Amino acid sequence: MNVIITFRNHENPFIPIEAEMITPDAFLEEKNEICVAVGNRSYPLSEVADFSIVGEASSVDDIEVLIRGDTSRVKRVGEYMSGGAITIEGDIGMHCGNFMSGGRIEILGSADGWLGREMKGGEIICHGDAGDYCASGYRGGRRGMRGGSVEVFGSVGDFACEHIAGGEVLIHGNTGDFACAEMKGGTVTILGDTSRVCANMSAGTCYVYGSAVEMIPTFEKKGTVNHDGVLFHHFRGDVANRGNGDLYTVHFTYLQ
Amino acid sequence: MDIKDVPCPFCGCLCDDVKIQIEDNRITGVENCCTLGNAKFLSKSRLQHPIMRKDGKWVEVSYEEAIDETARILSDAVRPLLYGWSGTVGEAQVVGVHLAEEIGALIDSTTSVCHNPSILAIQEVGHPGCTLGQVKNRADLVIYWGCNPIEAHPRHMSRYTTYADGYFIDNTATDRKVIVVDIRRSDGAKVADEFIQVKPGGDYLVLSALRAMVRGKSDVVPDSVAGVKKVQLQRVADLMMKAKFGAVFFGLGVTMSRGKYKNVRNAIELVSELNRKTKFTISAMRGHFNVYGFNEVLTWMAGYPFAVDFSRGIAFYNPGETSVIDLLEKKEPDACLVVASDPGAHFPKSTIEHIAAIPTVQIDPCVNATTALCQVQIPVAITGIESAGTAYRMDGVPIRMKKVLETDFPTDQEILERIVTRIREMRADG
Ligand code: SF4
Repeated sequence: MNVIITFRNHENPFIPIEAEMITPDAFLEEKNEICVAVGNRSYPLSEVADFSIVGEASSVDDIEVLIRGDTSRVKRVGEYMSGGAITIEGDIGMHCGNFMSGGRIEILGSADGWLGREMKGGEIICHGDAGDYCASGYRGGRRGMRGGSVEVFGSVGDFACEHIAGGEVLIHGNTGDFACAEMKGGTVTILGDTSRVCANMSAGTCYVYGSAVEMIPTFEKKGTVNHDGVLFHHFRGDVANRGNGDLYTVHFTYLQ
Repeated sequence: MDIKDVPCPFCGCLCDDVKIQIEDNRITGVENCCTLGNAKFLSKSRLQHPIMRKDGKWVEVSYEEAIDETARILSDAVRPLLYGWSGTVGEAQVVGVHLAEEIGALIDSTTSVCHNPSILAIQEVGHPGCTLGQVKNRADLVIYWGCNPIEAHPRHMSRYTTYADGYFIDNTATDRKVIVVDIRRSDGAKVADEFIQVKPGGDYLVLSALRAMVRGKSDVVPDSVAGVKKVQLQRVADLMMKAKFGAVFFGLGVTMSRGKYKNVRNAIELVSELNRKTKFTISAMRGHFNVYGFNEVLTWMAGYPFAVDFSRGIAFYNPGETSVIDLLEKKEPDACLVVASDPGAHFPKSTIEHIAAIPTVQIDPCVNATTALCQVQIPVAITGIESAGTAYRMDGVPIRMKKVLETDFPTDQEILERIVTRIREMRADG
């Protein structure tokens, strides 16, 4: 089954649209009416977008959803999805792929905050940049992303992979401040530069191919190791937190 | 006539020992108060009637017309924002939360721009806190981190810490040590036994280093951390561990500098670590007299202390997404109600421009910077002087605010109740 959703231009483009029902799972149930919220009003999807459904599906994995138009303020697309695929042609709003457990989301533009928050499985590929809290957790929660994979070709904002407890994240660009804060598991690879990385980590592994600026001063130096043909400085910590995580970085500086 | 033990409706210290002299329903004298509180008790200027913009000009209108217009603006809105709340009492805040739920609004308070990060940190790791009375009577070490009580909370040191007599402290001048941590040598630093000057944005790193030292892992710490020499850090860590009862107070220098809630979290975790060795507590220096109260009210009604979005009929909380500055930056709100605060005087320019671009109503006794951004302003009684109610001190202790002057002005609570009633009538009429 192929679903094509084209968001129309909006009278007030600044009001966010919450669209947690846009998942392959929801289209499997034929009776389902897909509704969205625009501010404090609720409408059927047809009120804000044109959409067409072609073909049939016997399982969620047969469903491909293509989303077009201005979706930079459309939130929670793919929340709780368990299979199938979503492709977004432009930018996408906050909380895309929250809690997803399977399937694939591909974003050709950039993603706003909380991309793949608390995800458990499946795959997210973002060709542009991602906002703050990419692959992280929720306020006050103890565990962020738990499984699956996220790949961002651009850069990410602050607090990327905060509380991450499992899964794999690959960031081709740079991160903002406090990437991998409170890290508890999983593997994060940053090909660019990062700042105050792995603060308060307790477990997990992080590779930084660029420079880790303002290193947290409470990591124990363990020497150098060769990984992937590159020489990395190996740190263990965060000692302040009785942590046992591994941080590998090519360059690092302290704020002295 | 003299009235004793009046709580001061200005800052989070909520000093409740103020003496007021009254003649002919006017305040003629104030005792025990600091200059900030004095100015509030003795201020005279106020708005006399509701005002509304018509054809670009301010005109005086009746309360009924102003409330009608407010109700219309709020019920037409798709993403209304109700903001402020810290300068009024719990009884009015309760009505505000009901209003937010009724119209599917966003509701946020000044917490969002001051101790929002403290709350996020507490939600992650808890709060080893205590009342100010405990600090006054027991603390032999007081640490002010990223705050300047002498300017912002003028009676904090004399009522609760450095200069206050304590039941278990023989000589407060010699038995109480004070540490001040700041990016510059403030007035507070001058009275400190130890002053730590941190490079701007370096608090997190210094806190991590102290935590490692308290754990006995000094060897991993480099010779200097964010401008602070390791020898000084070690001296401070020793002072902390030797204290019988340590009390940390922190302000916006910690919450609003780079790293925000991670700084606060690290400070709380330092305090937790110290509690393995001695007794330590940590408290936020809350600003407005009842900013804490709004957090209490919203928590008991919605489950979250600030930045709640009721647009989907349930309470959703996500600072960064549902918090006032982020919302205004993204130009989301299409109507705004400001109650008991003055965003026009404090907010970044781009957010103020958005408040001015949408229909905004203010409920406040005085003309202030926000007035210029509004369509309607409704004057009310001055809370804590002309109307009574419950406020929460910075340590969470509720204190009954007094009414010391008679007035014809309605209270915040009455105006909010009339707005709710009017919205219900409009909805019933379709
Ligand atoms: S310290 Fe604060 S509460 Fe106390 S008198 Fe001064 S302004 Fe009022």
